Amino acid sequence: MTLHVVPSSTVATPAVVVTNLRRAYGDRVVIENLNLRIERGEFVALLGESGCGKTTLLRALAGLDPIDGGRIAAPRRPAVVFQEHRLLPWDSLWRNVSLGLQATDARARAAAALAEVGLGDRLDDWPRNLSGGQAQRVALARALVQEPELLLLDEPFAALDALTRIRMHELVRELVTTHRPGVLLVTHDVDEAIALADRILVMRDGRIAFEHRTKGGGRTSIARTELLAELGVVASHPISA
Amino acid sequence: MSNLEQTAASDAFDVTERSDQAASPSRKPFEIGRRGLQLLSWLAPVVLVIVWELLAQAGWLSPQVLPAPSKVVRTAFKLISTGSLLNDLGVSLLRAAAGFALGASVGFVLGILVGFSRIAEAAIDRSIQMIRAIPFLAALPLVIVWLGVGEAEKIFLVALGVTFPIYINTTLGIRQVDPKLLELGRVQGLGTFELIRRIILPGALPSILTGVRYALATAWLALVVAETIGAQSGIGFLAMDAREFLRTDVIVLTIVIYALIGVAADGIARFLERRLLAWHPNYGIAR
Repeated sequence: MTLHVVPSSTVATPAVVVTNLRRAYGDRVVIENLNLRIERGEFVALLGESGCGKTTLLRALAGLDPIDGGRIAAPRRPAVVFQEHRLLPWDSLWRNVSLGLQATDARARAAAALAEVGLGDRLDDWPRNLSGGQAQRVALARALVQEPELLLLDEPFAALDALTRIRMHELVRELVTTHRPGVLLVTHDVDEAIALADRILVMRDGRIAFEHRTKGGGRTSIARTELLAELGVVASHPISA
Repeated sequence: MSNLEQTAASDAFDVTERSDQAASPSRKPFEIGRRGLQLLSWLAPVVLVIVWELLAQAGWLSPQVLPAPSKVVRTAFKLISTGSLLNDLGVSLLRAAAGFALGASVGFVLGILVGFSRIAEAAIDRSIQMIRAIPFLAALPLVIVWLGVGEAEKIFLVALGVTFPIYINTTLGIRQVDPKLLELGRVQGLGTFELIRRIILPGALPSILTGVRYALATAWLALVVAETIGAQSGIGFLAMDAREFLRTDVIVLTIVIYALIGVAADGIARFLERRLLAWHPNYGIAR
């Protein structure tokens, strides 16, 4: 398995810095004292069981939910790709991609973004004519056309079939290499996290319980069992490696 | 088996398959069936009109009760040639249009207010629902007392009938816009105005157009009733005038005209749906 390695020579500029974040629904504390820093060009995957607070964290970073304490410092509004493509069914693809884009050359920029995801010839097509994978590629184009410094991915490949998912992984890796945003990928899929991320976080009980850098080959299989153990899926000492 | 043999064998198999299909008698009635059913659906009303004509010609139907269709057609041409029919038709259409425009505007504005603002909903929705509970035709005597039997009364009655379907469907449409798309709009940095223009109104449009379709039907019903009472012109006046002279041919003609305009109004509504909802899988080109 190939790893996407960030050149360590680049000067680290943070895409987002989270300090002592707290988020609670009534009495139930979902996130407590969470600290996180993502550099520009860094790909971070966030794993965790359902209900561990990872989606809550993403929504707080996206500015969709208020926070109850701490600080989120991001230079600009982040872009988000959701699990569902959330394309506007009444707008053509280029209109969808340029949604919210404050530019006179919106169509040209949408065209360039669509070309990047391999749909450059479908500018005036309708979302309903797209397959699930194509729709998610348009959603990616819509996020990247905003030139975000932070890209939030909320299980964007979970609803896709296995082959389409692998193709999407390659595409995302290319796009992130080109545009170099900081990326936070929320996922259930350990293999996806290993395939894409420079750094893998495991969230438990509202805080980051485990951190692993995937840099350097050969560590992959160890990381996998380690990660599964952290997620409470397998025993921490595997019978055979 | 060699490749060649295999190809030959599969060719032969294909041929038998194809000839099988062509010869199959079970497929033919189905293919005719779609057009046949279409024809059949038109056959029944045509036969009915022919039977009606024959009964009238044979003198089994008194012209006082129900005139022959041919007589109605002749009356129509006569009234068109004197210009009175087109004049009355124009007056009726103008009333319907004015009442529709007025009622639709009020219903749309109220619907948008209530759809967007919980405060507006609390303030006015209950009152509107209470007024809506009254069959609007029941308000006719009161409307006549207020406005007399003139143009204002007729337009008001049409507007009254149109307001509620537009109001309800506009509110409903706005409420039914997918909250996930609204969330997306916020993520993409849309302001309130842009959010309304790009997401809420297009999302509410199918429902609003359903309201328009209902409203067109109600507008027509309101007009028939309004014109039946104290009109000096219009299709309804034509009918009431004809009643005085027992001209059943003119009365039947006005009924047919009302029906045709109803069909035309529905056609307009469908056309709007096809054009404006081309993106929608349930409307648009696919249907």
